[in-house]
Amino acid sequence: MTSPVRRSAAPVLLFLLLVFSSSVSAWKKEEFRSCKQTPFCKRARTRAPHSLPPFSVSDVSLSDGSVSGRLVPSPSIRQVTDEDPSADAAVDDTAQRPLLFRLSVYHGGILRLEIDEDPSSAPTPKRRFRLPDVLLPDLEDRRLWLPRLSSPSGVAATSFYLADGFEGILRHDPFEIVVRRTGSEGEPVLSFNSHGLFDYEQLRAKKEGEDWEESFRSHTDSRPHGPQSISFDVSFHGANFVYGIPEHASPSLSLRPTRGSGVDESEPYRLFNLDVFEYLHDSPFGIYGSIPFMLSHGTRSTSGFFWLNAAEMQIDVLAPGWDDSAAPNAGRVDSFWMSEAGVVDAFFFVGPGPKDVLKQYASVTGTPAMPQEFAVAYHQCRWNYRDEEDVAAVDAAFDEHDIPYDVLWLDIEHTDGKRYFTWDRTLFPHPEEMQKKLAAKGRHMVTIVDPHIKRDDSFHVHKEATEKGYYVKDASGKDFDGWCWPGSSSYSDMLNPEIREWWADKFSYKNYVGSTASLYIWNDMNEPSVFNGPEVTMPRDAIHHGEVEHRELHNAYGYYFHMATANGLVKRGNGKDRPFVLSRAFFAGSQRYGAIWTGDNSADWDHLRVSVPMILNLGLTGMSFSGADVGGFFGNPEVDLLVRWYQLGAYYPFFRGHAHHDTKRREPWLFGEENTALMREAIHIRYSLLPYYYTLFREAATSGIPIMRPLWLEFPADKETYDNSEAFMVGSSLLVQGVYEKNQKSVSVYLPSGASWFNLRNGVKYDGGVLLKLDASEDSIPSFQRAGTIIPRKDRFRRSSTQMVNDPYTLVIALNGSLAAEGELYIDDGESYDFEKGAYIHRRFIFANNKLTSIDIRPSTAGEKKFSSDCTIERIILLGLPSGAKKAVVAPGNHEMNIELGPLTLRKGSKPIALTIRKPNIRVADDWSVRIF
Amino acid sequence: MGALRIKFSVTITCLFALWIAGFASLPAREFLGIAPQDEGYYKSDVIKCKDGAKKFTKQQLNDEFCDCLDGTDEPGTSACPEGKFYCRNSGHIPQIIFSSRVNDGLCDCCDGSDEYNGNVNCSNTCWEAGKAARERLKKKIEKHQDGLVIRKQEVEKAKQEFVKEEVELSKLKNEEKILKGLVEKLREHKERIKKAEEEERLKKEKEEAQRVAETKSNEQKQLLDEYPEDLPERPHDKLEKTSQYVKDDHGDSIAYDHGSDHKSHEVPSDHSTNQHVLEDKDITTVKAGANEETGTKEVHPDDAADQVQSPETTEGLSREKLGRLVASRWTGELSDKQTKEHNDKNEEEKENHDFAESGEEENYDSYYHSDTDDDRHQYDDEDDDNDFQDDADEPYGKDEVEYDDSSYTDKDFTSESPDTTTGSLSWLDKIQHTVQNVIQAFNFFRTPIDISESSRVNKEYDDASLKLSKLQSRISSLSEKLKHDFGKEKEFYSFYDQCFEYKQNKYVYKVCPFRKASQVEGHSTTQLGRWANFEESYSVMQFSNGEKCWNGPDRSLKVRLRCGLKYELADVDEPSRCEYVAILSTPISCREEKLKELQQKLEDLNKSQPLAHDEL
Repeated sequence: MTSPVRRSAAPVLLFLLLVFSSSVSAWKKEEFRSCKQTPFCKRARTRAPHSLPPFSVSDVSLSDGSVSGRLVPSPSIRQVTDEDPSADAAVDDTAQRPLLFRLSVYHGGILRLEIDEDPSSAPTPKRRFRLPDVLLPDLEDRRLWLPRLSSPSGVAATSFYLADGFEGILRHDPFEIVVRRTGSEGEPVLSFNSHGLFDYEQLRAKKEGEDWEESFRSHTDSRPHGPQSISFDVSFHGANFVYGIPEHASPSLSLRPTRGSGVDESEPYRLFNLDVFEYLHDSPFGIYGSIPFMLSHGTRSTSGFFWLNAAEMQIDVLAPGWDDSAAPNAGRVDSFWMSEAGVVDAFFFVGPGPKDVLKQYASVTGTPAMPQEFAVAYHQCRWNYRDEEDVAAVDAAFDEHDIPYDVLWLDIEHTDGKRYFTWDRTLFPHPEEMQKKLAAKGRHMVTIVDPHIKRDDSFHVHKEATEKGYYVKDASGKDFDGWCWPGSSSYSDMLNPEIREWWADKFSYKNYVGSTASLYIWNDMNEPSVFNGPEVTMPRDAIHHGEVEHRELHNAYGYYFHMATANGLVKRGNGKDRPFVLSRAFFAGSQRYGAIWTGDNSADWDHLRVSVPMILNLGLTGMSFSGADVGGFFGNPEVDLLVRWYQLGAYYPFFRGHAHHDTKRREPWLFGEENTALMREAIHIRYSLLPYYYTLFREAATSGIPIMRPLWLEFPADKETYDNSEAFMVGSSLLVQGVYEKNQKSVSVYLPSGASWFNLRNGVKYDGGVLLKLDASEDSIPSFQRAGTIIPRKDRFRRSSTQMVNDPYTLVIALNGSLAAEGELYIDDGESYDFEKGAYIHRRFIFANNKLTSIDIRPSTAGEKKFSSDCTIERIILLGLPSGAKKAVVAPGNHEMNIELGPLTLRKGSKPIALTIRKPNIRVADDWSVRIF
Repeated sequence: MGALRIKFSVTITCLFALWIAGFASLPAREFLGIAPQDEGYYKSDVIKCKDGAKKFTKQQLNDEFCDCLDGTDEPGTSACPEGKFYCRNSGHIPQIIFSSRVNDGLCDCCDGSDEYNGNVNCSNTCWEAGKAARERLKKKIEKHQDGLVIRKQEVEKAKQEFVKEEVELSKLKNEEKILKGLVEKLREHKERIKKAEEEERLKKEKEEAQRVAETKSNEQKQLLDEYPEDLPERPHDKLEKTSQYVKDDHGDSIAYDHGSDHKSHEVPSDHSTNQHVLEDKDITTVKAGANEETGTKEVHPDDAADQVQSPETTEGLSREKLGRLVASRWTGELSDKQTKEHNDKNEEEKENHDFAESGEEENYDSYYHSDTDDDRHQYDDEDDDNDFQDDADEPYGKDEVEYDDSSYTDKDFTSESPDTTTGSLSWLDKIQHTVQNVIQAFNFFRTPIDISESSRVNKEYDDASLKLSKLQSRISSLSEKLKHDFGKEKEFYSFYDQCFEYKQNKYVYKVCPFRKASQVEGHSTTQLGRWANFEESYSVMQFSNGEKCWNGPDRSLKVRLRCGLKYELADVDEPSRCEYVAILSTPISCREEKLKELQQKLEDLNKSQPLAHDEL
């Protein structure tokens, strides 16, 4: 929601910019560090391949089932300080110290590489930071105990088993790691340090007269531990494109090269969580969240690389020929990774299929949490719904216009002076009553709780945090004092588990006065945003628990805050109620704690367009539950943009309308009857697909496969899909193409090959592998059901998803060439953790040989608890069945019913175009079959 | 599981039985959700979808499967998203709800007929709700009736005033013509004198000493220098002749504020409000006097004949008024009677009526009502009377400098020429006569030229010019006023002279129709907008192009007009940044059509009433 610049002196200038030149962005480039202004980045980036003296491997051995050994720097002069790259005299002993490494293999095709300094010969007491709490606690249980090492003939190397069909190779001199397919050809998949760019600045004692300080604008970073950066190259073999490493705004799904021959050199992709005011729609610059996980994809394989490190990171994607323009590599993508601090703790995922890579990553950082069902529905937000009257009026207007919504949000103004956990009692005198009124209609409320705590002695949270010493400290050891919404603020130190527990307790009904069971939480500004800090965030030399410097942890601060808040809601509900927490900042693993959104976007067509590749890359890197503010946060969307945004946003995994408080009201009914109808229709589509979405959330929660998927995830062999940034799959069955331009007359849609497609507006069937040109319809954006799939829907619309619980289902069956199709439906109580004990229904619907069968796929090992539902199926729609079928018979019972032509949706004006089985009224929980005659 | 299901169906059966019992008068299942007048449509065995798309059989009616996309076949279920469900609501008004509300677990119809699947048990609240609704409706109807009476008078008055001012304008234009002629004549004459004098001077130059000639010319120069001093002096003289309070306001607030857009210094602080209002009040009275016979009488007691006849004498009342006004400085109370004399009776009647009928509930009811009705922010009859006065009697000239000046002149002008019809002629005659005399008296053939004669001509010329410029300024202010759109019946004519105020927390909102709207906080004033126009068939006053908002639009204000017995501004709100809305109650917005609609509604309500009551 927010923009740090608003309360500083900058607004005037900003305002002038906005007024006088709408094309000029308000993004203040000079307020943020470029690579050239960042010594570790500048130095590392200018190196040529193999220009560094190499490391060699020694003392390789198997210990505890892992490969370990030393990396010995070449005896030549290699380490130079970043302040003075030419200072040969600056050589010291530390440069000669060997590093320790370990290579571990985990179940499912995962190789882990750890490289740290040798503590036994450390010149300073400072230890490099290893980020805890991100890797799944049971990861170690899944480590494979390597029985032996072997040495390939001919070269000094060690090889070991990685997964069936894959092996790891450790080359000794120079040091290099290659993951490759086994067999005679030994086709490589991933390699590390193939270009000799591995560099590791070891900690050392400060010399007399040496100056480690770094300045940026008016801020000075004391850097008490000096240079400690790490950089290396990673190559993705057999790849056409790389993806991932969010969060960046770009209209491109794949990561475009940042340097190399034939490429305009840009900044590297920066991973540094920042609150960026009016971020650009196309920039490698870092915004709110960071996931240092990159995936590659090509016709032969998909692979991934994840570096667990929360310090500032800069990543170059290198264009072919970057290393040797005379012989540009084909079928390989090289990347260059730089980080300010931390250790090497990296994971190689071998694939080979795209979904394999995602599962491998999820097995390391976790799958997304199963959300409450209401959270999958539509959210209505604005900065700010001003008071209880406003809330009541907006709520009533949704009903008046028959538009469903599930959650109403309150931004910062609901609090008493931006003291979170409090209410402005003038505006919100009866918060419980207000929430209860919404809850009576099955609706929920979300309030904002940010990490900055107002430094006000009469504010109990501040008082406690001060007394207990729970705040992050500044470099001098005092409580860090920064500026945010409430003015002078401090930030609790979420790295400390004790403080996280303390924070979690703040969400109890007792502590959070005015909260009720239908209230959930929004964490904003948790990059953290510090209005008067360097780059609008916390100084890097601030100190956390265990003497950890903020620079070492920065990108994970929001992650910890999100974690503590989500745990607070779990605690509040005695472990029985699934939390819902939306966060703006995130890190690898945030998917376990809730949803994220793409922050303060703008109400323009470009931002509509970039929302799709942004959400797709988030999904690929684990953050399935994500979305962009529908309508755009800053500025006033023209009504056609708003309508298109609702039509697209209805397919985002997280679907929320939101707006800045300087914008005009834009609730869906404010733009005339016609536009109200269009937005209602868009929201209705989401509600009708809720059973399908919820099933996909279940799939994500068990496998890590995202809800919203790039086409290549489903069609890995179809090259045309690799860089398609405009269309996406929802699950494996639905393809959606956005409309991203004003007054667009026609839309080109690429339908992937290997399947046929049914247009969900008119039931027309298309062959795959074609670029289809369709007239752009005002009513909806193009959507297609893939032949061979079954989608469960609910076609009755209620005030909120809550009232749909008992409503009957519609099954939409799209038959493929063999007149077969499959689909799934997952149902649980939508709110508790009983599903973990087996309380759910999971069905697979299979259509084959003119018979639709529902089978139970809930494993018998799922648990003791059961979940039941009396819901029935009221309608079965068959697409692609040759006409002639007249009757259907249900077994058991041999109950007979008619087949007739019916519409695809119950929208006015839909033509009867699809064979429809009328009222089979079979219970969704039961085993049954329906035979067609 | 099995047991559970049995229990469940038993519950359903029980509830269904209950439901049947409770709503014995309701239609059979297949007629669920169908309005009585529509039942005929569903009589046949094969029924058409209303959109004509297809047909369905009687078995398909309300069978929980949507056959007609327009919902024709499922009026009583939630199967068709486009469907509508009719609840009979005996004892209350029948209601048509979205089919999405049927069996959704929430009681929507007061008779509970939308929830029949047994998941919830909705009690029948129609009788209580109907009773309350009827009460509210009755009150609303009364308000509309009373409001219409006031409105009628206001419209009548406005029409007359409008005609009067039109007449005045055309008359003034005539006078302007004549006066222009006179001024021209005087000017010519003056020039001739000057010329003659010049000639004489030249002639005398030869005869007299140079010093004498110089002295003479100095004297003339001195004369000329006196002109400007005349200008500011005159208004004061005349104001004093008219009335002290006019001078106070216009002198202090207007004339000297010329050109200043933000008169923050004169924004009343809480402390000074009363006094300020009092002053305003007087002005408006006078102002009203200028428009109404009563006021005119007060200011110019001698003048009578020409005016539209006055039904009441105001001399006495205006003393009372004065007394109340002064009293209210301490009490803070003002009465309706102080202005708009002829409304007083009606107002009082109405108020008595209201009190008799509703007493204290009125207030509560009107708020309760506000949730559902589009007349959302009803005027609160019980509110302090003086609000009306405060609002209505804002010194219209306070903010609008141009206008103030003209009205200033207006008073000045009128006071000097008391009778606007017959009187003005004599006034003009007098001038004409004087001019004639002056001109004739002047003997060009007498040498040397009589200096006193010459200065008399100059003086007459100055007087006439000043008069002319005042006249012209009055003409321009009148034309400015009359070109506005005052509504189909000129019903908003009186708004021209009024401002309305509303205090909300630290802000005072001020709305001056046809001019501007502002938000005052302490000593700073923010312009919310300048008058744009009426919108939505005179139910909205739009003020736009106010002060620019930081990072937002220019401020604007939409004032929604509601029927109310008094003039009252309320509920200023800012739903979007810098886009304000407010409600203004006024009898002007009480409409016959709306009254009829309300009466019809009440009639409908009453129709279903006894039956339902019996049942219960």
